[in-house]
Amino acid sequence: MRRREFLAGAAGLFGAACLTRAAVANVPTPYSLDLNPPMDSKEKFIAWGVAQRGEDPKFLAERFDRFQAMVRNEDLLNDRHKRAFLLTPREKFVLQQNLGRAYDHAFLDIGFGVTISGPHIVGRMTSNIDPKQGEKVLEVGTGSGYQSAYLSHLTDKVYSIEIIKPLAERTRGIYDGLIKDGYNEFGEITSKAADGYYGWEEFGPFDKIIVTCGIDHVPPPLLQQLKPGGIMVIPVGPPGAQRVLKVVKTEASDGQMTVARSDIYGGRIVPFVPFTKLEGDQIVGTHNN
Amino acid sequence: MNDASPIAADASLLERPSDDAVLTGRERLWLYFAVGLGAGAVIALQIDIMRVFSVGSWAHFGSLVVSLAMLGFGLTSAVMTVAKDWFVRHWRGAASVALGLFGPLAVAANLTVQKLGFNAIFLVSDPTQKWKLLQMFVAELTPFLAGAVFLGCVFLKSNRTFGRVYFADLAGSGICGLIFLAAMYVFVPANLIVVPLLLWLAACVAWSFGPGGRAALVPYAVAGALAFGGHFLLAPAFGLKTLAVNDYKGVSYARKFPDAKKVFESASPFGYLEVYSSSYLHFAPGLSDNAGFSLPTMPVNAYLGMYIDSDGPIGVMRDLTDKETAYFRFLPMVYPYVIKKDPKTFITQFGGGISTEVALHSGAKDVTVAEGNRAVLEAFRRPVLRDFTGDILSKVRVIPYEGRHFLASTSEKFDVVDLSLADSVGLSNPGGFAIVEKFPYTKEAMETYMRALAPGGVLSVTLWNKEEPPKSVLKLYATMAGAARAVDPDHIANSFFVASSYLSTATVLYKNGGFTPEEIAKLRDHTRAMSFDEIYYPGFVYDGSQTDATLQGYIEQIFAGAAGGPPASGGNGASATDAAADDAAPPSGKADDGVLPATVMGRLAWHALIAGDWPDVASRYVFNTHELTNDRPYFAAYVKTGDLPRVTDRLELLQDEWGYLLIWATLGVACLTATVLLAIPVIWGWRTIFSKSRGKALTVLYFACLGAGYIMVEVGLIAHFVMALGNPTVSASVLITGMLVFSGLGALVSERILPYMRVAMPAIFLAIGGLLLSYALFVNLALDGIAALPYGERLVLCFVLIAPPAFLMGFPMPTAMTTLGRLGKDALFIWAWGVNGCFSVIGAAAAPVIATNFGLGAVIEIAAFAYLLALPAFFGVIAVDKSVANA
Repeated sequence: MRRREFLAGAAGLFGAACLTRAAVANVPTPYSLDLNPPMDSKEKFIAWGVAQRGEDPKFLAERFDRFQAMVRNEDLLNDRHKRAFLLTPREKFVLQQNLGRAYDHAFLDIGFGVTISGPHIVGRMTSNIDPKQGEKVLEVGTGSGYQSAYLSHLTDKVYSIEIIKPLAERTRGIYDGLIKDGYNEFGEITSKAADGYYGWEEFGPFDKIIVTCGIDHVPPPLLQQLKPGGIMVIPVGPPGAQRVLKVVKTEASDGQMTVARSDIYGGRIVPFVPFTKLEGDQIVGTHNN
Repeated sequence: MNDASPIAADASLLERPSDDAVLTGRERLWLYFAVGLGAGAVIALQIDIMRVFSVGSWAHFGSLVVSLAMLGFGLTSAVMTVAKDWFVRHWRGAASVALGLFGPLAVAANLTVQKLGFNAIFLVSDPTQKWKLLQMFVAELTPFLAGAVFLGCVFLKSNRTFGRVYFADLAGSGICGLIFLAAMYVFVPANLIVVPLLLWLAACVAWSFGPGGRAALVPYAVAGALAFGGHFLLAPAFGLKTLAVNDYKGVSYARKFPDAKKVFESASPFGYLEVYSSSYLHFAPGLSDNAGFSLPTMPVNAYLGMYIDSDGPIGVMRDLTDKETAYFRFLPMVYPYVIKKDPKTFITQFGGGISTEVALHSGAKDVTVAEGNRAVLEAFRRPVLRDFTGDILSKVRVIPYEGRHFLASTSEKFDVVDLSLADSVGLSNPGGFAIVEKFPYTKEAMETYMRALAPGGVLSVTLWNKEEPPKSVLKLYATMAGAARAVDPDHIANSFFVASSYLSTATVLYKNGGFTPEEIAKLRDHTRAMSFDEIYYPGFVYDGSQTDATLQGYIEQIFAGAAGGPPASGGNGASATDAAADDAAPPSGKADDGVLPATVMGRLAWHALIAGDWPDVASRYVFNTHELTNDRPYFAAYVKTGDLPRVTDRLELLQDEWGYLLIWATLGVACLTATVLLAIPVIWGWRTIFSKSRGKALTVLYFACLGAGYIMVEVGLIAHFVMALGNPTVSASVLITGMLVFSGLGALVSERILPYMRVAMPAIFLAIGGLLLSYALFVNLALDGIAALPYGERLVLCFVLIAPPAFLMGFPMPTAMTTLGRLGKDALFIWAWGVNGCFSVIGAAAAPVIATNFGLGAVIEIAAFAYLLALPAFFGVIAVDKSVANA
């Protein structure tokens, strides 16, 4: 009897272990709001990342180095944003040939004439719209999928539209693969291949909107789908020296809507950050020389 | 310099029996054909590479690669000088092999370059792109090396009758340039390489009937099969592209839209024009954000995207219903119609037709449109675009050339003159805009527009305002204020109204005679209704307390942490403090009352422009803001020359300036490479090969002057002639053809003056110098004068303008080369050709640098100086060697 119980128990445990393994694959601990990576030490972060997320220590080390540069540069608004950056495996969203530069302070080609923005500008833009848990965020231009993945660590309602169908399918495939691997937080990202000009009325209105594709005007449907008090950010200009246009929609007491344009630096002239090269956690010049 | 004392060239020496290759009369004729066609193939390949780069990537990288590849001539010369004896013995075989390799190498180089996938956008951030750029240069160098060896061998064995081969060389190049121009109507850019290949095959045949011998026909046929087969059969079989359009070019995005369909295509010297339809195309440049709350919908399926050389899109609108055009009143180009009712309107550049549509739907009673690109007008007359737009051209009067030239040549006056986003694409190119002449935006053009206004008429200019710090808009402001000061200085303060939208567009209105208070009130109401920013209006009060902080803030934005710049206050070379993250006082440039620095800068600019203290403000601004003139018609070149050393570690911040920075890079690399190439023969044989040659230093100076002078005239005039011909490709073709053919004729005639050259050549140099100086001063006036004539007449008159200096400029090179040959200075002879080639490359690279810094006129003036400097140097060339003199 005891032997039978033992065998049954062992089989049960084995089965559960197999099931769990199949479900989380490479990520030992499923995502939850309680998941908090250490921010005070690179070694602790790497150990935590290997144990909790099953990630490659090499990329974890690079992520932490870039994290420190971003903190120094004040690109991450608060601990929620610091956490979001540390939890997002950027290396999963870059092309194979660019893996070695995944955490460089530079935009990288992802094919289809599209880039993945550098970590500093992603952190800066996301800090600026500062999505709270439960807020709806619309991204126009899914691209690599990194921005939405980052957002999914800040809110559970992320909607993303990509105009280039093969790219949308590729990125959806990356999300699905990562979800299968155990990154259950990416399950919060709803995506589709469509013309982002018209927004996503079905899920609107949105608290925040990020537009990452070039256009000669702010699409009226997006302004309509932005909640009063909502913020929209749009990078403008060449990839290396983008300024980020910030559009704030406000409703007057008489119900009239108005829009105010500024940039994400709040009307201040802020020095650009040249592409910096990191060696360890040291900045060793730029990529220009 | 002692060995350079001028010694009279004995006439008898110059009449020595020829040591040229022994050829029959017929063989010699075939030789000339082979040289003409071979040189023509080389020039056709140059233009082909530039076209392929324009369409597939970015033109300025094509210029860089071609300029440097032309150093193949310098390299060949250096090697031939050192190994002259070998080449003298084996000249026929070496020339035959080199000629045979040209075609296959041209095809292989193109396929290699297309496969490399160089992407300029990542030039700074991705180290592999620099290697790809180097590989492209090496690949494109190979066919030019082959061409240079062929021509070098022929020149070496024609050193006593150089004038004739030189005529064949120049005339062949010139005529083939014209053939290439015509071929652009026939072949799409991907297949334009066929033109140099056909010319090369013809050169092979001519060579085989001449010095090469008939036996060479078979290997040439094989090489031909290899070249054409490689391009048309092997490339597709192996999945290689003959023209790979970069993913970041505008047309590449259109091609990826799920429902994209190419509905029109045309190839011509005016560009490779493609039109795509897709429901994903949306155009409303500068649309007010308030449209989002005032309009129920935007029109759908309303646009076609027009792309020229893969750049764009330029929006083409469907024939919209009145309901669908409701959004027009939210566009910036509607401004003049806020105060002008039933106006007679002139649109200076038709483009995709958006300003024309706005005019037609805003009550204009009469609309005239000008368009300098004939391919665009032709496209709108073809069924696809004609039907889509409801035959928009039939609703307006069409002027088939640049608007400024029409207005300059007519007494007609207009109530509204519009110049809106005419170069919208060029200012937002991800690859940066090349150094392109923007003649419609010059001060002279603005004066013409202003003078064409009826009493109370309004000039409306809208430009992209997407740059931060502001660059192009400040140049526009300075240019328009300068023009108004020239036209009507008394009313300047009352004549402008300026509004902008942050990171969108800026519109400048100029009213003939000044605005009334009622009009200003209307315009300000409209600006508020659109949520645009007021930049200037009569009576506007500028708060001067913001000046210092704004100017200093912009310097810090670009140069923080740079050598000689302000210190970086942040941890990694910057002090980017986020407003939300940091409530401390901002580091610099804080704008009061929520006004953005770019808006403050615009207001400061207009305040200073009207008050007359703009030069002081401009000198303290981070970028160059000089006004555009016919002499310096460039929006590019905004980095101040003195700041160039400080930007090398932050190039990505200046991505839209790379075209300009590349010309500096090209000049630097050209100087360096040319120095190395020139040093090889000097180190190898200054005391041995050239030891007996008198006047060698002056000879080097002479050919350096000719090389740099000739090409600077050519490049400088190409830029000048764009004003009359309206298109850089046509201008380049006309100049190349005109210059080379007329110079070729000069070369042919030059043989006759050999006996009198001591008297004739100084006169010729003085005539060239005088002519060039007068061209530097007056050619713009002449070109302005002919620019409104029918295109055929303009072409003919351009050739007439080119002829006098070009003919005379054909004399110095062959006269000196033949003299060197006849004086037995064989080593100097072949080296002189290389010196000439190297300085051609340096001159070509220096011309745009000089033009952007000192003006187009300065390029021609410096060329004139080079020819005048060649005058005394000429006496070193004709100095007789002691050994020869003693003999």
